Amino acid sequence: MPDDAAVFDYEAALVACAAGDHAALHRLYDHEGARLLGVAQRLVGDRALAEDIVHDAFINIWTHARSYDVQRGSARGWLYTITRHLALNTLRNSRHEVTVDDDVVTAIDAEASLADWRETVDAFAWQASAGAVNRCLQQLDPVRRNCVLHAYVDGLSHSQIAQRIDAPLGTVKAWIKRSLVTLRECMG
Amino acid sequence: MTAHVPDLPEMPDLHEQAGEYVLGTLSEARQRALEQRLPHDAALQAAVQEWEARLLPLTALVDPAAPSARLWQRIERSMQAQQIQKMPVPTAASPERAATVRRGWAWPDWNNLALWRGLSAGSFVTAAVLAVLLVMRTGAPQPSPQFMVVLVAPQDKAPGWVIQAGLSRQLSLIPLGTLTVPQDKALQFWTKADGWKGPVSLGLVQPGHTLQVALDKLPPLQANQLFELTLEPAAGSPIGKPTGPIQFIGRAVKIL
Repeated sequence: MPDDAAVFDYEAALVACAAGDHAALHRLYDHEGARLLGVAQRLVGDRALAEDIVHDAFINIWTHARSYDVQRGSARGWLYTITRHLALNTLRNSRHEVTVDDDVVTAIDAEASLADWRETVDAFAWQASAGAVNRCLQQLDPVRRNCVLHAYVDGLSHSQIAQRIDAPLGTVKAWIKRSLVTLRECMG
Repeated sequence: MTAHVPDLPEMPDLHEQAGEYVLGTLSEARQRALEQRLPHDAALQAAVQEWEARLLPLTALVDPAAPSARLWQRIERSMQAQQIQKMPVPTAASPERAATVRRGWAWPDWNNLALWRGLSAGSFVTAAVLAVLLVMRTGAPQPSPQFMVVLVAPQDKAPGWVIQAGLSRQLSLIPLGTLTVPQDKALQFWTKADGWKGPVSLGLVQPGHTLQVALDKLPPLQANQLFELTLEPAAGSPIGKPTGPIQFIGRAVKIL
């Protein structure tokens, strides 16, 4: 995390936004706008669309600042939650993909197929991420790690990940499911 | 042997659902189902928040992208459009505005197109859907309303009330759900048509109850006429104009 993010008081800025302080929103934008835009652009894959999303995100931040509750997580996290939510919905609406529900897909091929992906190399320089998630990502095989990151960072659906890494859909679903269990156990 | 429960899919694990939700990999149907549960399910909220916090550091894997100079200008414009006009400055041309200066909050700029543009697209579709729902709910054939208004919450545009106004010079404000108002507060119902000097009170509203209002003292309803509910002191606004924040807002759509 860059230094300025560590010292910038996101909570105070949100409180000021709730009180109608335009300058506070500008400060949030100056500190986090470029990173939020990066995240949105990576998800939707289009600069203009990403700027629309960041625009909508900041208007949402402005109008909902009053409802931000410090008990429910960090103010900085809240900015990302809003931005990712808008970006994921945009993605979903543009995807028009027929998704098969988890119940329908059997995951029995997962373990059998696992061996084939032992040699997969990392698609992300995930070591750059901070804290517990980094330590816990280490516990996953690279291919499973890639699945989680393709979903969270790239906004890929199960079937898009399956295509990207050339693995059966059911396998990808099972890997992600189990990776989440592993991460939760590891991170608490 | 244990009885077989037919056609009931196994309830997916709370944390697994929350994790996939934050990851963005839930199917559309499951995402929708989860988002419907979310406001009422504290355990689910907590699970989602935990996953948001767990995965947040992964956003650092993405390089920042320098926004264009236009982006902040756009945000600022939209913010000002949403911002309730604060403390209007009296000018020589409008000396009466000095009297309208109130503590901290003032009637929004009714002519601000940007504010309405955002509302109208969504509301129009909603109005059509709700019209159908209302007809289905009441069952009996009804006199066709001339105007329909969907009042939405200004932030999330969630519809909260519908107004039907027919030929009888009577207007019905119909709740679409229940909501709670702080004990020392009340919801007050207002309208303003183009060219009116200011909003006119249509009375206090009981949350969750239909309100009938006779319109005989008002000019006939117009298309685009604005309606809104504001949060006021329990006895209503002391000055005959809105003083509190807008809870629901919408404008009349002619549907005949």
